[in-house]
Amino acid sequence: MDLQLTETHLKFRDELRAWLQANLPRPWRDELRDPNATEDSLMALRRDWQRKLYKAGYLGMGWAKEWGGRGATEVEKSIFDEEIARADAPQILNFLGISLLGPALIHHGSEAQRRRFIPPMLAADEIWCQGFSEPGAGSDLASLRTSATLDGDDFVLNGQKIWTTFGPWADWIFVLARTDAKDRHGGISFILCKLDTPGVTVRRLRQITGESEFGEVFFEDVRVPRANLVGQIGEGWRIAMTVLGYERGAGSLAFSVRFGRDLAQLAATCRELGRTNAAVREKLGRLLVENEVMRANGIRTLANFADGNKPGPESSIEKLFWSEFDKRFRETAIDLLGPGGQLVRTSAEARRDVDWTREFLWSRAGTIYSGSSEIQRNIIAKRVLNLPTDGR
Amino acid sequence: MKFNLSEDQALLRQSTRDFLTSEWPIDKARKVMEHDDSGYAADEWARLAEMGYLGLTLPASVGGQGLGAIELAIVLEEAGRACMPGPYLDVVLAGALLAAAGGQDALLKDLAAGKQLVTIARSDSAYASEATTVTHLAGGRVRGTKYFVPFAAAADALLATTPEGVCLVNGPFDVTPLPTFDLAQRFGEVRFDHAATLIGPPILLERNDHLAAVGAAAMLLGAMSRCLEMTLEYVQTRQAFNKPIGAFQALQHRLADMMLKTESTRSAVYRAAWCFDTNDADTALACAAAKAYAGDAARLVCGESIQMHGGIGFTWELDLHFFFKRAKTLEQHYGSTEVQLERALQAAGF
Repeated sequence: MDLQLTETHLKFRDELRAWLQANLPRPWRDELRDPNATEDSLMALRRDWQRKLYKAGYLGMGWAKEWGGRGATEVEKSIFDEEIARADAPQILNFLGISLLGPALIHHGSEAQRRRFIPPMLAADEIWCQGFSEPGAGSDLASLRTSATLDGDDFVLNGQKIWTTFGPWADWIFVLARTDAKDRHGGISFILCKLDTPGVTVRRLRQITGESEFGEVFFEDVRVPRANLVGQIGEGWRIAMTVLGYERGAGSLAFSVRFGRDLAQLAATCRELGRTNAAVREKLGRLLVENEVMRANGIRTLANFADGNKPGPESSIEKLFWSEFDKRFRETAIDLLGPGGQLVRTSAEARRDVDWTREFLWSRAGTIYSGSSEIQRNIIAKRVLNLPTDGR
Repeated sequence: MKFNLSEDQALLRQSTRDFLTSEWPIDKARKVMEHDDSGYAADEWARLAEMGYLGLTLPASVGGQGLGAIELAIVLEEAGRACMPGPYLDVVLAGALLAAAGGQDALLKDLAAGKQLVTIARSDSAYASEATTVTHLAGGRVRGTKYFVPFAAAADALLATTPEGVCLVNGPFDVTPLPTFDLAQRFGEVRFDHAATLIGPPILLERNDHLAAVGAAAMLLGAMSRCLEMTLEYVQTRQAFNKPIGAFQALQHRLADMMLKTESTRSAVYRAAWCFDTNDADTALACAAAKAYAGDAARLVCGESIQMHGGIGFTWELDLHFFFKRAKTLEQHYGSTEVQLERALQAAGF
């Protein structure tokens, strides 16, 4: 057992830190509380930030250089996420394209698809959204009904996608569509569709935060060239499960850095407000302990990566931990701050340190997206603990 | 970087598990817990010494193996899994304190050889953490009463903590047993009026507290791992409504949470042990977090294990309750959750 980063890793980290110091104009929390900030201006900022990272060679960390990536190891990827969190840099605009579609194309796409789609994806010239969930298919994703019927050299898409993250901001969507009504898993295909294709309608959905990061996408006799099929017909489910694994994969370490910073801020604020009684300290102490344990989970994953292990179903444990902890943390935070903890950021009286109400509301999303907590527990029960299925 | 154990560490785990499987099968542990007043078996104690376990973390100059907190956590996790009764952790901590003080080689040799049993007399109160009496060192004598002294009745010498520092006190002692529901652990109330040697300042306890936290957390990890294993076996065999009860989602989701708590404890314990061994800047925080989390996690895992076993889970016959009770002792002692939370807050500068 050895949890010390190697010299090479430390060097990579120090270079990245120096780069962030020189290139990040100001932390994301400052951008959020800029009185002139709008949802559009923040998205534009995320686009610029992505381009800066791309130019510096910090995007597509794990991808081969051939595909515009860095060819970085899992450990470097994890260090990168941790340092981004430490610097409180914005999330890149094409987050879903790079974290989900990129790996899907690299592992399952054709050479032509990689050449066509990866460069503009990295350069933030084409923004992607994820067309998985439907009104009738959420946790039970395989029951999806959006259909893709072959007609000559085209697929014809009909149906509806919902909770489509970045839908209102994207140029393209990757869609899971049904190509065979009879085969539940094997009848799903992975198709790329430009959102300005005739027959596509994108509608914004307003989230509980008031923002519209997600939306819904309607397909009415939308013709998509067959060349936009990723993998083979019927391979969509397998591809989706692989890429969801990437989405779920790491992150504990980066989350512990973000939460740790906000938690330290919360402790300082409580002290400033004179809220130092035993009940307050116990709550702070429990949050601190959980965050440290989450960090330990992250270090363990990182060390396992460094030791040559690939992420497995245990990544469900990490996702369940951070997302459930996020809820407890944010809720406790606004409780400890008292009535003022519920002030929205436009209020002159709101705390300037952390946008506590936004964090509180956003924390409700983490246990739903990317496989709800219930789905994560199913995965742990079946694939880690090998418990029998209910049907037996 | 590597989280997995080194070859030597993996060998230590395997040999310890083999040793405990043959020397401390649960039937034997039960027999000692239920029928041996001392709470441990003298012949087995000699075997632990012979196998080098008592001197695991002590330097070779006193007959020890010179190993670190990671190795200690491995052995304690296995001891927790086996529900091994006796003062193993207590003696290891006393040894570490004596070694930190220095100049106690003769006693340490006897301790490592199993010839002298030494534990730490710490608590100034039978109940809450506020002291009811304070034991003082004055004029070369220690006077006062200490509560919940581990295996006091069997101890040849005790390390009594006083505001003046850590004092080495030789027996015999005036001991009133303090029986608790945990039969793997024995406590006594000790009235001191003894000649004593000051072996070091109170600050010596700081690092010992970190080791105690990691050690107890490792035993908790072993106890909860074993309970989870027993429960996973049970829910796959026990049938209800024509199905193994493990097929019910109501249980599966709770078992998933038990797995999450157990594996997260594992991450926290071994990371804390690594911090301790490398004198990492995060040592205080990591050790406090590991112990506080392990206490809560073990309460959940051991308690849910009883629940999922149903009626049989509430019987003396099933082994689970011994683990459940151990977990409560370990949660309360070696720095309670309340104490660890405050330590964590201090370490983080909150």
